Amino acid sequence: MGAFGYLMIKEAKQFFGNPFMPMVLILLPLLLMLVVPLAANMEVRDVRVTVVDRDRSVLSAELTDRIFESGYFVPASYEDTYDAAMDELGRGNTDIIVEIPEGMERTVGRGGNAEIFIAANAVNSTKGSIGGGYLSSIVTSFSEGISGAGNSLPLKVVPQFKYNPHIEYKLFMVPALMIVVIVLVGGFFPTLSIVTEKEKGTIEQINVSPVRKRDFIFSKVVFYGILGIFAFTISFLIAHFVYGLASNGGLLEIYVSAMIFLVFMAGFGLIISNYSDTLLQSVFMMFFFVLVFMLMSGIFTPVSSMETWSQYVTYCLPTRYFVNILRAVCLKGSSFADLQFDFIMLSVFAAVINAVAVITYRKQS
Amino acid sequence: MEKDEFVIEVEHLTKRFGNFTAVDDITFDVRRGEIFGFLGANGAGKTTAMRMLTGLSFPTSGTGHVAGFDIRTQSELIKKHIGYMSQKFALYGDLTVNDNMELFAGIYGVPRNEVKTRIDMLLDRLSLSAEKNSPVKDLPQGWKQKIAFSVAIIHKPEIVFLDEPTGGVDPAARRQFWELIYEAVDEGITAFVTTHYMDEAEYCNRISMMVDGRIDALDSPASLKEKYGASSIAEVFDILARGAERSE
Repeated sequence: MGAFGYLMIKEAKQFFGNPFMPMVLILLPLLLMLVVPLAANMEVRDVRVTVVDRDRSVLSAELTDRIFESGYFVPASYEDTYDAAMDELGRGNTDIIVEIPEGMERTVGRGGNAEIFIAANAVNSTKGSIGGGYLSSIVTSFSEGISGAGNSLPLKVVPQFKYNPHIEYKLFMVPALMIVVIVLVGGFFPTLSIVTEKEKGTIEQINVSPVRKRDFIFSKVVFYGILGIFAFTISFLIAHFVYGLASNGGLLEIYVSAMIFLVFMAGFGLIISNYSDTLLQSVFMMFFFVLVFMLMSGIFTPVSSMETWSQYVTYCLPTRYFVNILRAVCLKGSSFADLQFDFIMLSVFAAVINAVAVITYRKQS
Repeated sequence: MEKDEFVIEVEHLTKRFGNFTAVDDITFDVRRGEIFGFLGANGAGKTTAMRMLTGLSFPTSGTGHVAGFDIRTQSELIKKHIGYMSQKFALYGDLTVNDNMELFAGIYGVPRNEVKTRIDMLLDRLSLSAEKNSPVKDLPQGWKQKIAFSVAIIHKPEIVFLDEPTGGVDPAARRQFWELIYEAVDEGITAFVTTHYMDEAEYCNRISMMVDGRIDALDSPASLKEKYGASSIAEVFDILARGAERSE
């Protein structure tokens, strides 16, 4: 057994000798995955809808029924004119107006296209925009129903939740939280452990020994990598059995991407620890970058709704590729072949950041 | 193979941090098997010089050989042949005495079947066998330093570097600590000790006095006292330190 083996044993003894840390390792994914999706839920219910039915046909009545059957919407009022509906919206009596154009049934019957107009009150932006999105997808599926599969859709609205048929926000959140678990365990743990060694001076005892720097670094990366996979497994099991994600398989894709991302986070944490002398400094630096990784990469918010410039920024963040992979595999059942670009980019990030980490770690000043 | 007489040879070693010259052109050598005292006030440059010798810091200019290896290009080889005890206690406080010893024996490549006997022997010498499985952080300072010293020599290095090893402990504990150093030297280990306790200098075979990054005097304690007409090393130091510009 070389120095690496002894260092791994040391890490394990330190980690499991501390009564607090193993508990954090288990509770962190459990709480994050079970509690947060219930609270951080942007789902909306009981959105009040005013219908302006100018067609007054069988088809328009069916569409209206379909909207209210969904459970997300309650009828606020039925108006004859758009202006009357706008007054209601202005008084705050309704959240969304749906206007069905005159002659819709006839147009559709002739094989033409009709446009359904949706106006959402965006004062409560969540209710308005998400409610509007739900409405769009209801209209789309209704439209599919009348045209039959494969034909062009007679009713035009932009579908937004194509691969989340139940339109549940939870399914959007859960892959994001799986990433948070890896960021915390795979990124923060090794960083804090190295900076603690700096603060206590134990790293100097190691630096003056013949331990190769790659053995010291790898002992941290590998040990906390194993813990990261363990915590990720807990969160994956919850995602699968509690939220029903990844029912289409894709276990290999998920674990390979999780491991590449773990390697990235460990390398990133090492760079932070190379440049910080105190725990406080490293925690602040980590938080800054982790917030950017999380909030600007489309983990919690769709990239498509970002400003154009910040959409470009997402290409510079590895979390963008990882969340793409997780969502595609969990929700769509995609495989390696569909996600080549994301896997390549994620690997490039992991390789580059670790090269920088090894170069910037110095035993000799 | 005949072993060299000198285990440390240093010529014109200098370390600058920006405009500040921490170590200013020092030249000296250390003989095999001696206790070499590296004395100086706080801030005189002792620790910086020692960090260059142990491969923790890169010299700005000058050359040096430790255990026959170049401090510029072969620092990783040097590290196999030296032991180091820092002035800041640097064992893993959350691990037990035995865990710390096993770890360092392991990374210095002590053969596995020897590790246990060596640990038992060292602890027995310290009369601390009962504390084998206690976490290091729970032990008193004097014991911690003795354990840190034992860890520094667990792989039987050629030279052990001790950076202010007796800081913050009472005179009796310091006395005991020096007995440990003598025992190690009897086994053939060379001891390189920095200290600012002038009474400890009397225990050394030879001492150097550092003032403002330079070595102003180097000889045996007796010769130094004679040369400066002083009754103690502390007096010699006072004479030399009068010209110092750096102070705390």
